[in-house]
Amino acid sequence: MTDTRRPLRIAVVSATTAAMLALAGCSSGAPVADDGRLSMMVPYLSTTSPSGDNAIHTALEEIAGVELDITWVPNSSYADKTNITLAGDDVPQVMIVQGKDPGFVKNAEAGAFWNLTEHLADYPNLTTTMPEVQEAASINGEVYGVFRARDVMRAAVIIRKDWLEALGLPLPQTTDDLYEIAKAFSERDPDGNGVDDTYGLIIPKWPGGIGSNSPYDVIETWHGAGNRWTERGGELVPSFTTEQWLDGVDYAKRLVDEGLVNADYATLDSADWNQPFLNGDGGIIIDVHSRAGSIAALFKQADPEHFGRYVDVTGNLTGPGGELLAHPTAGYSGFLAIPKASVPTEEALHRVLEVLDALNSDEAWPIVSSGLEGVTYELDGDFAVPIEDAPQDLLDAVGSYAQLGTNVTGRPGFLPKPQSEAEQELYDKRRSIEASDLEAAVYDPAAGFVSATYAAQGAQLDTIIADARIQYIAGQIDRDGLLAAIERWRSSGGDRVIDEINALADDVD
Amino acid sequence: MAHVARWRWLYLLLLPGVVYFALFRYGPMYGAVIAFKDYLPFLGVTGSPWVGTAHFEAFFASPDFPRLLGNTLILALLSLLIAFPLTVLVALLLNELRLNLLKRTVQTLIYIPHFLSWTVVASLTYLLFALEIGPLFQALNGLLGTDIDFLSDPAWFRPIIVLQDIWKNTGWGTIIFLAALASVDQEQYEAAILDGAGRFQRVWHITLPSIMPTVVVMLVLQMGQVLNTGFEQIYLMTNALNRQVADVFDTYVYFMGITQGSYSYSTAVGLFKAVVGVVLIFGANWVARRFKQTGIF
Amino acid sequence: MAREPYRFNTPAGRVFDVLNIVLLSALGVVALLPFVFVTAGSFATEAELASRSFFLWPNTVSLEAYASILTSPTFLRALLTTIAVTAVGTVVQLLLTASMAYPLSKVGLPGRKTLVSLVVITMVFSGGMIPTFLVVKDLGLLDTYWALILPMAINPFSLIIIKNFFQQLPAELEESAKIDGANELQTLWNVILPLSKPVLATFALFYAVGIWNDFMSPLLYLNDNSMWTLQMFLRQVTAATDLSMLESDPSSLPPAQGVKFAVIVVATVPILLFYPFLQKHFAKGMLIGSVKG
Repeated sequence: MTDTRRPLRIAVVSATTAAMLALAGCSSGAPVADDGRLSMMVPYLSTTSPSGDNAIHTALEEIAGVELDITWVPNSSYADKTNITLAGDDVPQVMIVQGKDPGFVKNAEAGAFWNLTEHLADYPNLTTTMPEVQEAASINGEVYGVFRARDVMRAAVIIRKDWLEALGLPLPQTTDDLYEIAKAFSERDPDGNGVDDTYGLIIPKWPGGIGSNSPYDVIETWHGAGNRWTERGGELVPSFTTEQWLDGVDYAKRLVDEGLVNADYATLDSADWNQPFLNGDGGIIIDVHSRAGSIAALFKQADPEHFGRYVDVTGNLTGPGGELLAHPTAGYSGFLAIPKASVPTEEALHRVLEVLDALNSDEAWPIVSSGLEGVTYELDGDFAVPIEDAPQDLLDAVGSYAQLGTNVTGRPGFLPKPQSEAEQELYDKRRSIEASDLEAAVYDPAAGFVSATYAAQGAQLDTIIADARIQYIAGQIDRDGLLAAIERWRSSGGDRVIDEINALADDVD
Repeated sequence: MAHVARWRWLYLLLLPGVVYFALFRYGPMYGAVIAFKDYLPFLGVTGSPWVGTAHFEAFFASPDFPRLLGNTLILALLSLLIAFPLTVLVALLLNELRLNLLKRTVQTLIYIPHFLSWTVVASLTYLLFALEIGPLFQALNGLLGTDIDFLSDPAWFRPIIVLQDIWKNTGWGTIIFLAALASVDQEQYEAAILDGAGRFQRVWHITLPSIMPTVVVMLVLQMGQVLNTGFEQIYLMTNALNRQVADVFDTYVYFMGITQGSYSYSTAVGLFKAVVGVVLIFGANWVARRFKQTGIF
Repeated sequence: MAREPYRFNTPAGRVFDVLNIVLLSALGVVALLPFVFVTAGSFATEAELASRSFFLWPNTVSLEAYASILTSPTFLRALLTTIAVTAVGTVVQLLLTASMAYPLSKVGLPGRKTLVSLVVITMVFSGGMIPTFLVVKDLGLLDTYWALILPMAINPFSLIIIKNFFQQLPAELEESAKIDGANELQTLWNVILPLSKPVLATFALFYAVGIWNDFMSPLLYLNDNSMWTLQMFLRQVTAATDLSMLESDPSSLPPAQGVKFAVIVVATVPILLFYPFLQKHFAKGMLIGSVKG
């Protein structure tokens, strides 16, 4: 760690330290030692963080053979805490890094984290069975962390089942079907109340930029635009430079122009996404299939007897090209990185990796993914049934410890057992969609590449396109305006990004 | 030395404060040098390479600069010209309220919005202005005889921001003026009444002059914050259709610093804002001194 | 209030009074309604929250949201911690500020102008998050409650306002204290501070709210989550978005909407209750007049 002190500051600090220390009492901050402890920094997503010594923590420590010293950080403030932590001198030995954001890339390339490319194969539980995901999670082929595996195929179309039945329509197979259904939902009074008060697709304001798995991105993939990047004439190009991307945007524009989408698609608060669906205003949502489950749960609260009538789900749709092109997510959610500041030697690295290996062992995996059998859940076949009267704290903690799960070996976890036939049916459907769509997944061919220009100004560049897309759909700009925005992307640095990505791709080949 | 002896008690009182400012306010200021470096947390402040004024040059040359400056200044002016006088006005009205119970109740109620975060304020705004169904959407469009989508129409972005600002901060802002009003010498009113001064004359000749010093100080100090429009409120109300008028320095700093990881660049922008703030604050103080013999600080 | 200073009112004044009552009552209602909505939402079921947009009374009253947060020992501990830190911190910060403001209000004090300018500069310039963190760390304040109090001990803005207030106090008051043989320390404590109750009450409120609402300090300076304050929860529940596709993490189910509202209510009501206690001091401004007379 570099010393950032200045002489002036030392003087001031030492002059008053004595007084302040008396005021402060004792403070912690002992340097992390190799004394059977492993310090980690982990985000939590629930309302409260797990407290010190709970049963799950102890069980994992037993398996890992070390004391786990976890600093829990609220997910909403993780980036700030990460920057502060890297600047201080008591960096944890393992940090969960939430993604390949530019800050991480710069720090990693400057040598802040161990390059694990050559090391992971020495540990059976850290040797991935999904090398393509590890590749995607790497920085130009260099692996700076143990990735945390996630389901790849999650895109789905969620539809009002009762509306389809009322109009005698089947689930959509193609984007044309979807258009017809959206039109019918808007024009043929699917709720039978005699009033023209319904529409088709519900789209919220999307805070992410281009290629952030928005409904627009999914539709473009279906139309053959690829997934963020795609190959054209032996070159990698951003999907929005393709004809098919324009087709996808035009498709969305047509839906909007004909009033088949909620009129406030540019501003609808994403927290209220389910609301029009539940209220019977709109009838279609393009999002992850797990949303079908949460919507069904909300219907269940309102109408416990017949809630199964309202929600149906289907997978990716076949585009105008006649081929099913499914939109996958990245397949990982950040990774566990090991800072060199706190793990200075290869031996120390070895010890840390051994612990991570143990935390992904067959023994540890059920605990990480589902909690403690007999304490927080009971097994029923492949399903976990939560134990209702387990302490609430411990139940909340299960989700937090799941953040430690890497599962690079792709084991299935126990899933929560659906509570009724209708939920079981929906659940089975989601699983089968997932399996069949996976074969048609269109991966991002540039996922593993980080271009220098993109790291420096990518977010800004992407905003140009994401804004122009909405402005075009809204009619604020015409097609020439949209093409001009793409041209502006190119001239503001985008062309350099393309060159760099292709150079990186050539290096790999 | 006699000098120091004479003031010794006062210097003693001053000591803790001076230590505080030296340690916690001036101590960290060396951090501003990262505006002239390519800072990485991992390399630390001294370890990161120098780049000179490259970030400033890039910022001033950026096509974004004029737009950011314009958007920021317009919002700052609106706040200064509308929100600030409104705060003083509400404080004066509260002071004139003679039903004590109502006065206390209203005071307490109008502070409440200050405690709701911008996230909550923004989602309430989305609810109230929601297309077709929002109560304010219906009321305003009914009143104007229009069909405006307030949330995406660039022309309505600034009015909504100012409105939110007024709603959230006016009540809270009155506190400081009410404290000043509480200190007004009541005998002056008695004397004025005996002289036959009416309600409005009393406000004009006694109340207003007695809180003027506070008003001027607040105004001068606010000049230093002119370029600080805040980040969260604006970020939450921005969308693809109004971004042209919505982007301000603070959202830009966030975007470059957090999303894009260019700590140095965003520090450079922050430093630029601070320099402008210092110039404005001392300039305003100078002007205030010219008009009133006493200085503000 | 001993005397009614507005005895002589004109007809125009009466019309104004009525308008004023109506206007300010309306302001009060407008300020309150959204909070009523949040409170109503905290008592509503998830299904109702998902289907109704704006309401002031839930159709079905549900205590589930409160049950889930009030049974959590972490949450209760955080509530108590926050109250304690706020109470201690407000006193410490107010004392430090007042003790620095008083000398700076003495026009003749050598070095005064320079110091005031240096203070004003800190209103605009700051070293930023990371250097401040390093100072707090070097002082050994990490993982102590002082880290939530000392780094923000003197707000330059409050300092200037309090200083100006002291400056406006009639000089005779101090002279008479001096004649009685008091030094400046005693004068400040026995004469100035009691006279400054309205302004001190105001800044007590500002400081209390500052500590209460601060979420950056606990986030950055406290690693031990058993020491956390309420804002850490509030921030976490209100900042969460509901975009499953955007989050690459399917395990990130956002907290229930009702819980969000309940946390907002629980984190806001205690500090709101603080205000009426201070309010009575605002009415005591007449003190100055009575002392003079």
